[in-house]
Amino acid sequence: MTQVSTAFEVYQFMSEKNILIAFTGYFDHLVTTSLLKNIKNKLSALQSVTGIDKKVYNVLVESIENISKYSSRSNNNQKIAMLLLCKSDAHFTVITGNHILNKDVPALKEKLEKVSKLSPAELKKMYREQMLSKRTDENSAGLGIIDIAIKSENQIKFDFKPLTELSSFYLFQTEINIQK
Amino acid sequence: MDSLIIEATEDSPKILFDTVSNRFVISGESRPENAGKFYTPVINWIIKFEEILNSRKQTNDSSVLFFVYKLDYFNSTSAKYIMDVLLILKRFVDQGHQINIEWHYDKRDDDMLDAGNEFSDTVDMKFEFIEY
Repeated sequence: MTQVSTAFEVYQFMSEKNILIAFTGYFDHLVTTSLLKNIKNKLSALQSVTGIDKKVYNVLVESIENISKYSSRSNNNQKIAMLLLCKSDAHFTVITGNHILNKDVPALKEKLEKVSKLSPAELKKMYREQMLSKRTDENSAGLGIIDIAIKSENQIKFDFKPLTELSSFYLFQTEINIQK
Repeated sequence: MDSLIIEATEDSPKILFDTVSNRFVISGESRPENAGKFYTPVINWIIKFEEILNSRKQTNDSSVLFFVYKLDYFNSTSAKYIMDVLLILKRFVDQGHQINIEWHYDKRDDDMLDAGNEFSDTVDMKFEFIEY
């Protein structure tokens, strides 16, 4: 009966943490689209008058798109990523997790550390610069993170959990305040 | 030049560029899998439309063009293409063509209003903001 009791623990954990969506799997554009459709329905059911459903949706899309930009794809196992959406009284939390090659960690970490320290005015300035800069993959990925930082009042957190000599698990979290 | 009509999908907006009514509308959600593939034909169409504008000018036709943005959501990759379109429109204005830009936004969606203001400031063009 191990599986059933484990499932019950998962259920209890998800209830306690107010997890609205928990998904692990391979994120391609089709999976993302169907997932977003489901989430959009859940969010619109909240009938928010403050438009927080739109803000959460926004952060979700950019977060998921960040997964595919930074994922390592050396083997099938590493294509598996994670998405969590939680809601407490005070805020929504969006968390993504994906495998990343260790060699890519320092540059990403530096970028995230830089963005996470910026004021709203500095973020806006950086957004504008990136918007007008030449289009490269690196730049557009940066734009997504800046966009998330602007929309969440820069409540972003990140961590890298070492897995092997070659890869780590990259966690990216955004909190969005629920205004009363 | 024919109007440009592209129907909306789950991840890409509807494009309705009507050369008769002079209303050029982009509406819906924009997070295409390949934003370049989606927006390049749209941008090429606008660049080609410049010839029509110039020939209208020669016949003293000074019809105002209405560019209408009515987006529920756009991702950051699409933002760069929206910017590209605006920069072309800015060039048209600098050449003496009359263009009115409408930015529609859900009244609950402050971020969409902010985004419009940001585009307007960056490209240095006045937008007409319309809530729905």
